[in-house]
Amino acid sequence: MEQNKTSQELDRRNFIVRGGQRIAAFVLGLIGASLLPGQKQRALATSTPQTQPKRKVENPWEYDLESLKKIDPALITYEEIESIPAEQEKVTALALDDSGTLYIGGDKGVRVITDKTSKRWVQLPQAPACLAIDTNGDIFVGLKDMIVVYDKKGTKKTEFHSMGESSYLTSIAIGIDDVFVADAGNRVVWRMNKAGALLGQLGEKDERRHIPGLVIPSPYCDVALDQNGLLWVVNTGRHAFEQYKPDGTLVKRWEKTSVKIDGFSGCCNPTHMAILPDGAFVTAEKGLERIKIHETDGTFRTVVAAPSQFKEGTVGLDLAVNKQGRIFVLDPSQKTARVFEKK
Amino acid sequence: MDKPNKNQPVSRRTFFGDTLRTLSALGLGSLVGFGARKATSEELVWQLDPDKCVQCGQCATECVLDPSAVKCVHAFDVCGYCKLCGGYFKPDAKSLDTAAENQLCPTGALIRKFVEDPYYEYTIDESLCIGCAKCVKGCGAFGNGSLHLQVRHDCCVNCNECSIAKACPSNAFQRVPASKPYLYRGVQRKDFYPEK
Repeated sequence: MEQNKTSQELDRRNFIVRGGQRIAAFVLGLIGASLLPGQKQRALATSTPQTQPKRKVENPWEYDLESLKKIDPALITYEEIESIPAEQEKVTALALDDSGTLYIGGDKGVRVITDKTSKRWVQLPQAPACLAIDTNGDIFVGLKDMIVVYDKKGTKKTEFHSMGESSYLTSIAIGIDDVFVADAGNRVVWRMNKAGALLGQLGEKDERRHIPGLVIPSPYCDVALDQNGLLWVVNTGRHAFEQYKPDGTLVKRWEKTSVKIDGFSGCCNPTHMAILPDGAFVTAEKGLERIKIHETDGTFRTVVAAPSQFKEGTVGLDLAVNKQGRIFVLDPSQKTARVFEKK
Repeated sequence: MDKPNKNQPVSRRTFFGDTLRTLSALGLGSLVGFGARKATSEELVWQLDPDKCVQCGQCATECVLDPSAVKCVHAFDVCGYCKLCGGYFKPDAKSLDTAAENQLCPTGALIRKFVEDPYYEYTIDESLCIGCAKCVKGCGAFGNGSLHLQVRHDCCVNCNECSIAKACPSNAFQRVPASKPYLYRGVQRKDFYPEK
């Protein structure tokens, strides 16, 4: 009987079955241990307690920016009359030609809008950083480091040389013979002819010529030609407007640093500007998103749009003005061109 | 020779013996698996993602340490070296100088140093910084967002359940590997986290 039991326990089938059971149990243990929540999972569970309501605690060091965004309604003398959809996911630049045709640059190229029924596309290899339209209808497109020129039908005419790896083009102004291109990366304004030949540069620090130099902490530096053919450059880091002759001579300048309504604040404002038919400046700012008008000498005139009219954090409010003094504002948050007119 | 009968009843002794051995194997497997897992998992520390931070001020009030282990840090490559720094000056500053009444920081932890016209360098005295994020909010609103908060690991005691993480309204706190303990902005961040 005893001998029988021993032979039964040593049976090959039983040995394999029982051995298999032990191995299976061992493997099951291993798997179980690996399925236990690890340190990372536990940490994630405690770091993302989204289901737990957070108690609201008053911030003793609250920095109230909202009070800075409030503007006396009496100062706002413009109203929004139209909002033109850009029909693009990302909008980056805005321009008007002499006939009032609107050009909106973005990820799909340039949307050319003559009126509500006449729209067309100019296809581009990438979203333009800046745009300007010549009197003959040629479209000057500023990419990161070079200018590409298209005719009014959208056929590529010419491509200027790259301005270098550190170049970051932000604005174009087209004169009778010259093209001025603001380069925030190199902190200069390039002067070229319409074929792309480099004729000179403006804005570099030169104590002998009393030029303070461009200070451009972020990629915003706008340029525009006034009725006298003189170039206005926004020196954003100094909150200044500087007027130059085409040869680079500084004619005059004004600057106004203030978070109040009469000046510009932050690292680099105004980010964009346009010149009204009477010579005054329309300005757009980031940080405190607002559109204002300043006289030629810098005196504050009026508010076009208050921060409350823009989504917080909106940047890239490119500007254009038509012959009637209507102000076109590119709103990258709404992906529209918003039109403002005097009340 | 007689074949063993498959349906032969199992004795109590055999049953208990088998069960015990199976349970032992299960326990041994769990122990080995758990040990191996612990040996391979890296130590984690708390850090806050500056892109999620909403400058609520709770880093200063909720930390078990006083002053908080959260400090302002500066990504110099992102900074504009502004004369009018939104993180340094109060909005109603009478003049753009280092007078205490013009400074936004409640403890004077932000240091302003002239470099060359019109550039100024801003550094943080971490022994004074309480992590209130007032400067971070000002820099983000008016500047490039170079000032940001980070948990300083020379101060942090790495609580299992971080009290700031519990209170953080934007869930900016997370566990990161101790070998990559910071989520900096700018070039430093690229060094640590090239995928970002």
